[in-house]
Amino acid sequence: MFKREMKVYLKGFFIWTLITAAMYIMVFMMYPHIMNDNTKESIDEMMKIFPEDILKAFNMDIASIDTAFGWLKSEGFVFILLVVGAYAGILGSSIILKEESDKTIEYLNSLPVKRTNIVISKMLCGLIYVVAMVAGLGIINYVGLKATCEFDEKQYMLLSVTPLFSSLVIYMLGMFIATFTHKTKKMTGISLGLVFGSYILQVISGLSEDVEFFKYFTPFTLADVRNVIENTELEPILIIISLVLCVVLFVGTLVHYNRKELV
Amino acid sequence: MTKNNTIMKIEGLTKYYGKVLGIENLSLELNKGEVFGIIGPNGAGKSTTMRSIMCLINKTSGKVFVEGNEFTKYSIDIKKIIGYLPSEIHLYEDLSVKQMLDYHESFYKEDIHNRRNELVELLQLDENKMIEDLSLGNLKKVGIVLAFMHNPKIIILDEPTSGLDPVIQKKFFDLVLEEKEKGTTILYSTHVLSEVSKVCHRVGIVRNGHLDKIETIDSIKQMALKYVTVTSSKVDEIVSELGIKDVTKVNDTTVRFKNDITMDSLVKKLAEFEIENLLIEEASLEDMFMHYYQEDDTNV
Repeated sequence: MFKREMKVYLKGFFIWTLITAAMYIMVFMMYPHIMNDNTKESIDEMMKIFPEDILKAFNMDIASIDTAFGWLKSEGFVFILLVVGAYAGILGSSIILKEESDKTIEYLNSLPVKRTNIVISKMLCGLIYVVAMVAGLGIINYVGLKATCEFDEKQYMLLSVTPLFSSLVIYMLGMFIATFTHKTKKMTGISLGLVFGSYILQVISGLSEDVEFFKYFTPFTLADVRNVIENTELEPILIIISLVLCVVLFVGTLVHYNRKELV
Repeated sequence: MTKNNTIMKIEGLTKYYGKVLGIENLSLELNKGEVFGIIGPNGAGKSTTMRSIMCLINKTSGKVFVEGNEFTKYSIDIKKIIGYLPSEIHLYEDLSVKQMLDYHESFYKEDIHNRRNELVELLQLDENKMIEDLSLGNLKKVGIVLAFMHNPKIIILDEPTSGLDPVIQKKFFDLVLEEKEKGTTILYSTHVLSEVSKVCHRVGIVRNGHLDKIETIDSIKQMALKYVTVTSSKVDEIVSELGIKDVTKVNDTTVRFKNDITMDSLVKKLAEFEIENLLIEEASLEDMFMHYYQEDDTNV
């Protein structure tokens, strides 16, 4: 069953990863040509126009976009967080629901296989693809940066890992919510809304101390890109929280899926 | 058949979809090697019964036991000995028939490849075709192979012949009879009554979510219900003379009715009239069940 799941979602994985990678490759190819002293000055001027909160939202207050690595640390990683998050959310919700929407669940459940094993096989498959996407984009960007500019490799490695923490929680959350519904299309909308809504919450939480508590309601807090840029280290507590949330959501998925009316 | 010959026991099976009744308080015992038919009109609760037994839907109440052990959705060992063919079969459309059968095989430790090949040959299945390209009939054939290929002790068939052409239907009935000979227990749901007389030992009649009656096929046939069709210019007088209440008027000069009197009395009474045509026929299984349904309706 696991092999079949891997095969079913392989195409989607390649489409998401290759399209995202192609965009980054284009940026790396163009960056050295568009970035000269004049454009750097123009960018510096432009930065002064933006409010500090906006610069903070894209990490532009702590990273200069005059190199490809600087761009990656600011806008580049925001985009990766969103894309991998969206992929993880859609995958998490559809991987459980596909059998129901395709009506193959009746066949699958008539086989000598426990529902728990069905969920474990599907969860592992999605988990591998989310990790593979983060790794794939990490490798492609590494190669692109190597060809483009000098950069702090340790910082880059840590940055590349950060999307995992938010994406895996989003993935598990998608799976868990999917056990409460039967419709894939509805869940795709919910997942995307959840990802973009969560990101907006994260941005808002950084705007003022009054709304800072919003950060506790968004999985993107777990991908602490700012901390890596500033201190070149991962926050262990965020890794632990991510793991605990993943385990709790997965157990919740198992429990609720076993009770769910599937046909 | 004795009590200890029971392979499946269903106790008080009840399923409500919210407030809507699917099946209520169905109790039944299936003996080893028995083919038990469940018949009833559409929406009677046949598929709900099958799905509840298979633990594909959550029962509202009731239990199912197989070989003395309770059958729940966690009972993997029981699922291994059951083959299931749903009324509407949905398989993986991205797979070919061969890949689908390979996938199915991968769930069973025993070597079931030979049996699979026999069934594929019997039903003339093209393994190279994609599932998404199959007609309803061919999809059903794949479903039959999937239900039978792991040599199950119990086979649950829900409307198995829908979509099958007469040639394949004949092969399918032969296959069911072959399994019957081997001692496989089969639970066979259908609304085509003639099918149950071909293969079943006993029949349960399901109506409005309840199991109304259980009869053996032999006992039903022995009831010898007869239908009479008379064509005469004096049909109204004939009906009056015979004192028949339940008459179907075919046209102005022809009536059809269930005969409640002895054959001798019938012939003698009819002889008093000028008869253009007379047909006395043994009731088909359909007629008998319709008769029961009407009888029960009047009793309600």
